[in-house]
Amino acid sequence: MSYLEDGLTLRSWFFTTDHKRIAILYAIAITGFFFIGGAAATLIRLELATPAGDLVSHDTYNRLFTAHGVIMVWLFLIPSIPSVLGNFLIPLMIGARDLAFPRLNLLSWYLYIAGGLIILASLFLGGVDTGWTFYTPYSTMFSNSWVAVTLTGVFVTGFSSILTGLNFIVTVHTLRTPGMGWFKLPLFVWAIYATSVILVLATPVLAITTLLVIAERLWQIGVFDPAYGGDPLLFQHLFWFYSHPAVYIMVLPAMGVASEIIPCFARQRIFGYRFMAYAILGIASIGFLVWGHHMFVSGQSVAASMVFSLLSFMVAIPSSIKVFNWTATLYRGSIHFDAPMLYALGFVGLFTVGGLTGLVLASLSLDVHLTDTYFVVSHFHYIMVGGSVMAYFGGLHFWWPKITGRMYADTWARIAAVLIFLGFNLTFFPQYLLGVQGMPRRYHTYPPEFQVLNLLSSSGAVVLAVGYLLPLFYFAWSLRPGGRIAGANPFHATGLEWTTPSPPPKDNFEQLPEPPQEVYGYDPAKDPRHDPARGGAMAAEPVR
Amino acid sequence: MNANAAAREHPHYAGGREPPREIGQLGMWVFIASEILFFGGLFVAYVYGRSHWPNGFAQASRHTDVVLGTLNTGVLLTSSAVIALAVACAESPAFRRWTARLLWLTAALGVIFIVVKGMEYRKEWHEHLFPGPGFELDAGGAQLFFMLYFVMTALHALHLAIGIVGVSLFAWATGQAKSWAPPRRIDIMALYWHFVDVVWIFLYPLLYLVERHS
Amino acid sequence: MNEREFKRHAFKLLLAWLALLVLMLSSLGSAYLSLGVGNLIAGVAIATVKSSIVALLFMRLARSSATVRLVAVVGIAMWLLLAGLSGVDYATRSRQPAAFQLPRQLPSLAPEQEPR
Repeated sequence: MSYLEDGLTLRSWFFTTDHKRIAILYAIAITGFFFIGGAAATLIRLELATPAGDLVSHDTYNRLFTAHGVIMVWLFLIPSIPSVLGNFLIPLMIGARDLAFPRLNLLSWYLYIAGGLIILASLFLGGVDTGWTFYTPYSTMFSNSWVAVTLTGVFVTGFSSILTGLNFIVTVHTLRTPGMGWFKLPLFVWAIYATSVILVLATPVLAITTLLVIAERLWQIGVFDPAYGGDPLLFQHLFWFYSHPAVYIMVLPAMGVASEIIPCFARQRIFGYRFMAYAILGIASIGFLVWGHHMFVSGQSVAASMVFSLLSFMVAIPSSIKVFNWTATLYRGSIHFDAPMLYALGFVGLFTVGGLTGLVLASLSLDVHLTDTYFVVSHFHYIMVGGSVMAYFGGLHFWWPKITGRMYADTWARIAAVLIFLGFNLTFFPQYLLGVQGMPRRYHTYPPEFQVLNLLSSSGAVVLAVGYLLPLFYFAWSLRPGGRIAGANPFHATGLEWTTPSPPPKDNFEQLPEPPQEVYGYDPAKDPRHDPARGGAMAAEPVR
Repeated sequence: MNANAAAREHPHYAGGREPPREIGQLGMWVFIASEILFFGGLFVAYVYGRSHWPNGFAQASRHTDVVLGTLNTGVLLTSSAVIALAVACAESPAFRRWTARLLWLTAALGVIFIVVKGMEYRKEWHEHLFPGPGFELDAGGAQLFFMLYFVMTALHALHLAIGIVGVSLFAWATGQAKSWAPPRRIDIMALYWHFVDVVWIFLYPLLYLVERHS
Repeated sequence: MNEREFKRHAFKLLLAWLALLVLMLSSLGSAYLSLGVGNLIAGVAIATVKSSIVALLFMRLARSSATVRLVAVVGIAMWLLLAGLSGVDYATRSRQPAAFQLPRQLPSLAPEQEPR
């Protein structure tokens, strides 16, 4: 009996300790938040289609981009791959029956929901106008918006993250199936593990910082207030100490997903497995050393800025190693452009563009001109949307058969992937140009000479929105009674999660599996889809 | 016990058997690492404040009650030793019957700490040392010191209160021989208690002993 | 553990407790001496020694697995990184407080009024 059939009451879902069900609870919640954040983005792009501030007031606009940032970062991106795909797959990939602390996992979800509801409540009350970065002294002393309520929601959500990270760390250390050494683990597990270390070490600093801002707002405990001897920049040090590693929380799991999809659809073992694993650790470590590159023009000393600039260049090295290795994996592979592969390839390309523009911003002298312009906005959207969201979608498409036991319509999925890729570039590439020309971010009006590029960007957003809505339909359609059943391993992938039925039974495996001889044991010469005996069609049974 | 053998014994493997110490202990240490960073933000703010306002911090620190502070430090250090002994008793068949009493003593010492802290806060309130208009001291940074003092000690006291509740629950459960309070869980609770003690070990010199010699 | 091991361990705990109290009193005492920055160093150093006793003996870190010790070390190292690297900024910022200036009055925008 699959995990989906084991208990059909609401109670069995809301009190579950099954990591697979908790993953689905997260998936539904983050999808809801994604569309709320997307609605804010829609209003932003509608406003920016014309130079005049005619759709919303400046104050409403400030609240819109803040809501967009807060929801997309904390309620969508941070939990997306770890809490959905990580929760579902980690125990399966390591041959375990569940995470180390299943009840803590459920608590994580409830904390996430509580934090999310508090943030939504603050939106209904009128929202926050400080930007998702909550810079002091505006957030502590001058903003007339619901800062304390929003930050309380962020605080609660932060604890959800910390507990999830704790769970994954202990699980990967202690519950690997006998014989599964670290270098037999899929790179997705490495990526989630490194992400979990960042979650555990960085998020607490955000937590204490939100408490200090709330204390200053409510009781004038002014640690960031110069009138008492405090320093507003101290807030930025503490905030970015978390928020820079946070972007690696968002991108490392995406890299893990890409490392699972690309070898499978190129039928080739990943190039440089050990370097890929070390690069993941390198990104996680160096990522803690670079936060000051968000503060080049804020009053930080020039000496410190130079140090952070140099360190920021260094973090590009492990990232580029990964890009080279994904590319090398394709070389002489037997490549299939199924939907997951389209998303993974899109991820690699767009992440590369985003990463290169990150180097531009890491250069101190260039950043002085480009900071707080649309260049920055475009850079981080290339990474977070072109990178993380595409990889999340790729992962959803790759593991949908395993999670639901159903196969979606691949043609529609490919159409959606292409629409997302094209829409994304149309939306965000013009923003690089706008940034170089000097258009500042977080303004609801702009000089008329910027209109053409803004209009292109807003048009792209329409295409992007269609691309994001399509999966709702074909995924839902795949679940209909009589929909196409997927076998245990429709993509002939390696990995222990594919050795168990789709969807898996409640305890994951009938018998605990033996680890594979070789992780990523693919061979392009033995591509099952080129097997003449099967007429070139996808086999329903796993090929060994 | 190596990780693979430990894995085989997890309840989600074989159904019903207790997970080995390794899993819970590792989990608590990971949590402690996160708490180091949680308190750590406040310690960074302190480092900033003291390095920029040495005179203000010195003057303000002299207005903390060093007698009560030292007493409290002694109380907490003792409570740590007591709970460490309790854990040893829980793991020793000959002395197991002392575990519950030692746990209750630990909790009692924690309560004493909270009461003394409350007395200090009351004193500081009457001496106009709470931040806000009417703050007593005039040196630059003195008010910042007391802002950090109250936030750090209050956060510590909150963690201690959670510890007192947890240790009391285990004391009661051990007395009732409840199955959910085996020695390895008492060990994990004790790790948390020791961590709260370590935070105070650092708060003591930083808050009470900045400069006492003038 | 058996009775003999227990008694040895309990004795170690007793010694550690006494050591902790002695260290606490020496920290207190050193604060009354005029040592300049030495006061801070003494305070932090003694606190570090006390914490090490608590961590290594009470928390049994000395006998824990390598993973657990790595977790403890990484937690501390991360704090040192946070304090240290932001300290680079604070150490190299120049402080140039401006002299006190009276606020400047700009000319009024209201039209000139006829004197009464």
